[in-house]
Amino acid sequence: MTTETLTKRPTYYEELRGKGYSRRDFMKYCTMMAAFMGLQQSGIAQIADAMKKTPRIPVIWLHFQECTCCSESFIRSSHPITADIVLDQISLDYTETLMAASGHQAEEAMQKTMKDHYGEYVLCVEGSVPMAGDGEYCCIGGRSAKQILEETAAGAKAILCWGSCACNGCVQAAKPNPTQATPIHKIIKGKPIVKVPGCPPIGEVMAGTLMHIITFGTLPELDGIGRPKAFYSKRIHDSCYRRPFYDAGMFVETFDDENAKKGYCLYKVGCKGPSTYNACGIMKWNAGVSYPIQSGHGCFGCTEEKFWDNGPIYARMPEAGGFGIEATADKIGMVALGVTAAGIAAHAVATNLRKKEIVDNLIEEGKESEKEL
Amino acid sequence: MANRIVIDPITRIEGHLRIEAEIKDGKISEAYSAGTMVRMLEEILRGRDPRDAWAFVGRVCGVCTTVHSLASVRAVEDALDIVIPPNAEHVRNIMFATQYMHDHVVHFYHLHALDWVDIVSALKADPKKTSEIAQSISNWPKSSPGYFSDLQKRLTKFVESGQLGIFANGYWGHPAYKLPPEVNLIGVAHYLEALEWQKEIVKVHTVFGGKNPHPNYLVGGMACSIGIDDASAINAERLQLVHRLLKQAKEFVEQVYIPDLIAIASFYKDWGAIGGGLGNYLVYGDLSPNGYRDPSTYKFPAGAILNKKVGEVMDVDLREDNEIQEFISHSWYEYAGGDDAGLHPWKGETKVKYTGPKPPYDFLDVNDKYSFLKTPRWKGNAMEVGPLARVLVGYGRGREEYKEVVDSTLSALDVPIEALFSTLGRTAARGLEAKLVAHWALEFYDMLIANIKNGDTRMANMERFKPDTWPKEAKGVGHTEAPRGALAHWVVIQNEKIANYQLVVPSTWNASPRDKNGVSSAYESALKNTPIADDHKPVEILRTVHSFDPCLACAVH
Amino acid sequence: MNAISHPHKNLRRVFVWELPVRYYHWLNALCILTLIGTGFIIGDPPAILTGREAYQNYWFGTTRFIHFLAAYVFLFNFAFRIYWGFVGNQFASWRNFIPTNKKFFSDMWMVMKTDIFMTKREEEKSIGHNRLAGAIYFLTFIAFGIQCLTGFGLYAAMSDWWLPNLFTWVAPLFGGDFMLRQIHHWAMWFFILFTVIHVYLVFYHDYVEGRGELSSMAGGWKFIEEEVFEENKKEEK
Ligand code: HEM
Ligand code: HEM
Ligand code: NFV
Ligand code: SF4
Ligand code: SF4
Ligand code: F3S
Ligand SMILES: [Mg+2]
Repeated sequence: MTTETLTKRPTYYEELRGKGYSRRDFMKYCTMMAAFMGLQQSGIAQIADAMKKTPRIPVIWLHFQECTCCSESFIRSSHPITADIVLDQISLDYTETLMAASGHQAEEAMQKTMKDHYGEYVLCVEGSVPMAGDGEYCCIGGRSAKQILEETAAGAKAILCWGSCACNGCVQAAKPNPTQATPIHKIIKGKPIVKVPGCPPIGEVMAGTLMHIITFGTLPELDGIGRPKAFYSKRIHDSCYRRPFYDAGMFVETFDDENAKKGYCLYKVGCKGPSTYNACGIMKWNAGVSYPIQSGHGCFGCTEEKFWDNGPIYARMPEAGGFGIEATADKIGMVALGVTAAGIAAHAVATNLRKKEIVDNLIEEGKESEKEL
Repeated sequence: MANRIVIDPITRIEGHLRIEAEIKDGKISEAYSAGTMVRMLEEILRGRDPRDAWAFVGRVCGVCTTVHSLASVRAVEDALDIVIPPNAEHVRNIMFATQYMHDHVVHFYHLHALDWVDIVSALKADPKKTSEIAQSISNWPKSSPGYFSDLQKRLTKFVESGQLGIFANGYWGHPAYKLPPEVNLIGVAHYLEALEWQKEIVKVHTVFGGKNPHPNYLVGGMACSIGIDDASAINAERLQLVHRLLKQAKEFVEQVYIPDLIAIASFYKDWGAIGGGLGNYLVYGDLSPNGYRDPSTYKFPAGAILNKKVGEVMDVDLREDNEIQEFISHSWYEYAGGDDAGLHPWKGETKVKYTGPKPPYDFLDVNDKYSFLKTPRWKGNAMEVGPLARVLVGYGRGREEYKEVVDSTLSALDVPIEALFSTLGRTAARGLEAKLVAHWALEFYDMLIANIKNGDTRMANMERFKPDTWPKEAKGVGHTEAPRGALAHWVVIQNEKIANYQLVVPSTWNASPRDKNGVSSAYESALKNTPIADDHKPVEILRTVHSFDPCLACAVH
Repeated sequence: MNAISHPHKNLRRVFVWELPVRYYHWLNALCILTLIGTGFIIGDPPAILTGREAYQNYWFGTTRFIHFLAAYVFLFNFAFRIYWGFVGNQFASWRNFIPTNKKFFSDMWMVMKTDIFMTKREEEKSIGHNRLAGAIYFLTFIAFGIQCLTGFGLYAAMSDWWLPNLFTWVAPLFGGDFMLRQIHHWAMWFFILFTVIHVYLVFYHDYVEGRGELSSMAGGWKFIEEEVFEENKKEEK
């Protein structure tokens, strides 16, 4: 997707240029507009700026099965700050969390954007879609999440999946997934989809992904499963400041032990940093204050598929279902090894009984040869 | 003839709430509140490691993030009889206070304000006059005429762009908006300032829990070890950051939130007689300097009030089989023992069974089941929970701090105490408790420092962390006072796994459907008799519903 | 009942394992033992008390380094063995491993009855691998493949080199690194069990058959009974 296609509708500036006006004429026009709106000199540049950018890209932000913490995380973004995005960069035409209108007025706003900006708006989805039954486990305005998603996706330029809910189903899709919570990419095909997983994703990662689309007019480069490489190409483990302790084999053995106080590696208390891709160690959270590991708790892999079912948070290996309480691969392996050893012992004994004759013959043969010497 | 109107989605809340209301003679005669999204976390938790539960239930809600995690670790600690170190208590209390200030401020400015503040009218404000008004109500430094005129320009530019974004299709110009343009402009200014501020205060969670939303908790204490001589643990630098943030938060609450609240409320005193509802209030209590296990020292004392009898606060027992019960007569679930039964959460069941209309639909069948919320009752009574309940119980228990803030506010607004039982009272109570909490937060901070100074650096008690130290069977309950009200989780542990896990959540109390006797819960009851000027623009419904600060993801879970 | 074996059997020296196969075998055994040892430590590192600073220690990093080093050797060695399966002698051929006809299965069944359940007292008829061993080595090769895929799939994220980066597609296929690690860890137990049983069986065969099985992986030859030799020769024709 190129700049051209994303901002297909000409801006005022482009329109004027297209009609043969110069940049100077454009500035004059802005000055006039400013005077008309009763603004001071300082307002002109702002107007010019706005006109160059207008129309702001319309965004429809849907909420399905979620906890709204992706929205919450988004409003924590420090650069750019959310107010600037919402006022200057995009036109957030629908979001149940912040919009003034409710009910019919809210639906109207969404319908208007879908009609007026067909093929141009960015669709953001927070939450998974319950596919069980007729979709009754998530209804808005009497329509099911699935119906709403399919309708809004039809005219979307691109779809941004916020958080693990939209990307992999998150907590409601954990076993036994009673509502058949389903991520967006399994429902919508044939649209550019960007996944921004995390529970929630870092605010600046969300803002950064959105701003990439707004600023460069293209989708960011994605990794093998559709996440922006910019934020999801490195493991937590590879950017973790506790890594030297890992390499040195110095581990926290239990929480709040002496090693914990000294900031040793959290690997043995279940840190999933070695198999988790996110920017926590690099960007950190809430404008660089800390991230889970820095605050003493292991990473539990919140950007990864099925992370809720990837075993207990405080163990490195998940339990193996069907083998009783706390059976891990190693415990089962040990048992298998024991059984094997017993089997071998039994086999060895049996060999000496059942094949005694054969072996005796061999020995006999050998002894005879020896005697013959 | 009554006219049935539907508002779905109710926006500026968390989650999926649908209100259906009968309007008769310009007033609501009946209201129905429905939660239309379910995730079934209680079922998903079955068979899992109880030490992990906090992370799952934390994801019940990202708006009141942390409160479910807190209730969860407490429930498990209660079941396993784990006593956490004092530092962990203080840290949890500080995080709790942080969550309160954040949630209440965001609710006031970003979720509730647009019911009272007309953005479009702010374009007409005189920046100079605005500045005078702002300076007369508060010392907040950002209140010069230039500040307001720049803001107005920005707003004008925004409106002129023709793309109104989140403000599109609001009820602007509705006769129910009463603020002068200048006060509206202050409202808009602080909407934006609060948006910037809120991302700062949460850093307290980031220090102790590694991130926000959804900071990390730990059964047995907290994972953030104290190492005052180590760069990667809680040390003087981290603590100073927390201290500064708490002080700034208190400033914002005192100098922006509260003055705005009073200023706006003074134009809407008529709402002191609308939206009262049940008159029954319930508080589980929380925030003790002496540890969660000592309810007598809770700063939010526990108690129940029936029929507005603030002077008669009753005790509440979360373990008692017949005190707290959940009903599903009008909820899309079924109980093994029949749908009219009331179950104490330790025996709770969550078996979903949808019997509503097939989507797309126009109306719900409100005579039958019509919501994914269960209906909780205390000794059979419908109860309101939340800031108003807390303020009334604190007041009723004769706590000086409460008397002081309540009485001074009533006199500043020149309204009688009855005005508390209303939409306005609920919104005011939220501000008042935010003010109390802002103050307590610093007290807890001082206690944490004092304790560390005394040489106690323990942050977690890991003695009973390993499952082989647990009894074969255990039951626990953990409670807190979430921003929206009384919250508790009940857990049954068998053979090291969760055998049953039940959450009864503040918004479940308030937003639930009727019970088997047809008695309404708090939202429905509060909406009754609300005047509606224009059936097509029912901003009045939003005012009352928003005064509860709905959270439907919480309510259903 | 001396029909099966009797004193003074004529034995023929048969060159079974070519030098490359022997090199491969021992390098492979060394790699696998190293990978199991280091893999075990990576999976569950022991608690080691140290008063030193992190930068003064590197034992865990070294353990991982050895794992990766052995992994490379293991991969190349494995690749070589596949190649040799096409160009090596008849005992090294891929045909020994992949069951292609009914006889393969009936022979396998016979080996089971003779060596595992010991209900039959057949004389060993094969010269190279017996059929059961061949099939199990086939499974082993699949396990090698899984371990290389999952191992290099994990390793790809830690490396800039193109070779490991050939494996970047593996993690998404399994839904992420976590699943890869699980498979990788589980598969280790296959290797442990294989090694134990394999070494036992080598001793067993040497003991019961007296053909110099143990030493065959050193010198390359086995001593085969004249009749068995002739029988094989006929079959070959
Ligand atoms: C017989 C062969 C092998 C065995 C038995 C083996 C065993 C193991 C085990 C048990 C682990 C620890 C897993 C965990 O619990 O996290 C491990 C880790 C690993 N192995 Fe292997 N492995 C083998 C071959 C390989 C190969 C061929 C590679 C290719 C590069 C490889 C690369 C890795 C990597 C990258 C890790 C993760 C190390 C880390 O993240 O620090 N392994 N291996
Ligand atoms: C005392 C140690 C060992 C001896 C004497 C030995 C001997 C042998 C012999 C004689 C064969 C051919 C057997 C047959 O065809 O039935 C063989 C094959 C094999 N052995 Fe071992 N072995 C030893 C240890 C190991 C170890 C430790 C491993 C791996 C962990 C191993 C892996 C293999 C494999 C994979 C094959 C199949 C080779 C092929 O044809 O490609 N061996 N070994
Ligand atoms: N209701 C509710 Fe919550 C709160 N406060 C939870 O306990 O909002 Ni999301
Ligand atoms: S991804 Fe996690 S944080 Fe985001 S809405 Fe879902 S549950 Fe909440
Ligand atoms: S704390 Fe976690 S991410 Fe950091 S080095 Fe240790 S295992 Fe890796
Ligand atoms: S749990 Fe999530 S927030 Fe970061 S450290 Fe791990 S990816
Ligand atoms: Mg519940």
